[in-house]
Amino acid sequence: MNILVHLLFPHQTNNHKAKIIHPSGLSLVLCFVLVFQLLVRGVGIANPQVLGFAANISPSEVIRLTNEKRAQNGLAPVNYNAALSAAAQAKASHMINLSYWAHIAPDGTQPWKFFGDAGYKYKYAGENLARDFSNPSSAVDAWMASSSHRENLLSSKYKDIGVAVIDGQLSGVETTIIVQMFGTRAGDVLPTQPVAVNTQAPPTTATAKPTARSTQRPQATVQPSATPTQVPILAQVQPTATATPIGTPRVLISPFNVTRGASSVIVSVLLIVLIVDMVIISRRRIARVSGRSFAHFAFFAMILAVIIIMKAGRII
Amino acid sequence: MMRDLSRHVAHYTPLFGIFVCGILGFWLYSYDRKFQMAVAVAVAVSYVVWGAVHHYLHKDLYWEVLFEYVMFAAVGLVVLASAIFWA
Repeated sequence: MNILVHLLFPHQTNNHKAKIIHPSGLSLVLCFVLVFQLLVRGVGIANPQVLGFAANISPSEVIRLTNEKRAQNGLAPVNYNAALSAAAQAKASHMINLSYWAHIAPDGTQPWKFFGDAGYKYKYAGENLARDFSNPSSAVDAWMASSSHRENLLSSKYKDIGVAVIDGQLSGVETTIIVQMFGTRAGDVLPTQPVAVNTQAPPTTATAKPTARSTQRPQATVQPSATPTQVPILAQVQPTATATPIGTPRVLISPFNVTRGASSVIVSVLLIVLIVDMVIISRRRIARVSGRSFAHFAFFAMILAVIIIMKAGRII
Repeated sequence: MMRDLSRHVAHYTPLFGIFVCGILGFWLYSYDRKFQMAVAVAVAVSYVVWGAVHHYLHKDLYWEVLFEYVMFAAVGLVVLASAIFWA
């Protein structure tokens, strides 16, 4: 009991300042956080089947959500293409096999190679990657929040789409990778204007007519040859085949959730100690050489807020 | 404590500004890990600088006080960095 008082409350034994918010106490907290992180990483490396991001993501749902976003922005849907899906599957497997997370592989393999290997001769092509998302809508929302990925999603230059979702290990952690490939075949004609507007969700002017520029887009091999006069059919095309099996649902402990939970507890304890410190010191009118507890409290309140709003998932 | 806060609005306003910028940075760039890490470092450094300036103006800046701010900033930064690493 005395130890707890010494650790958590301002008292004579700790020079009227809870030991845990002394620099020495904070050093211990710091060490604890670092050791905890090393343990999490160690468990992940030793038992890859324990830590990871479990997801149940269907490629057709990714395509549906993509077309939903396009429709909301007055664009024609992109159509499922088996060759593009095969290319996306090959890219995803390549990343898992070579253990990398990038558009360009460590061996220099460009994304466009997979298009060619799958027999898709493109005029325009683009690639979006995502990992560690628990559901497809979070991944699509993340792409929409990033200007370069959004440009791919909402480009009127693309007619086809292929999506692969694959489970595997990256950096010793089980994860689910989503590869989304867009393309237009050489010789295909494109609509010049957006063709549909979802009246329930008015389009924004910024995305009504996206530019064709994208960092992921290769040089166009063929320029658009003609302005189409016919309006494409707006019916959504569902994939006729699953791009890739995603395996049985896995029960994994998310390292992000574990870290977030532990961090929240640590920060909350420090916040409570700081509140108690402020109240007791103010009531007892104790003068001491110290930092401002209120400033420390505000700092950790911000840290807690950030931890709460953080989301798992990465896109490139 | 609240009396102290109201007396030093000019001191605490920039502090809250730093924190609001930090939260906004994390919120608006939800999936940009590098940017989030840069925001975390910037907020931690700004916090230490704020503490130094605040105590200097109050004429009670000592190494122990500065070290306390550094330690709080270090704990906050490591907590955020670990969450960013796994996110």
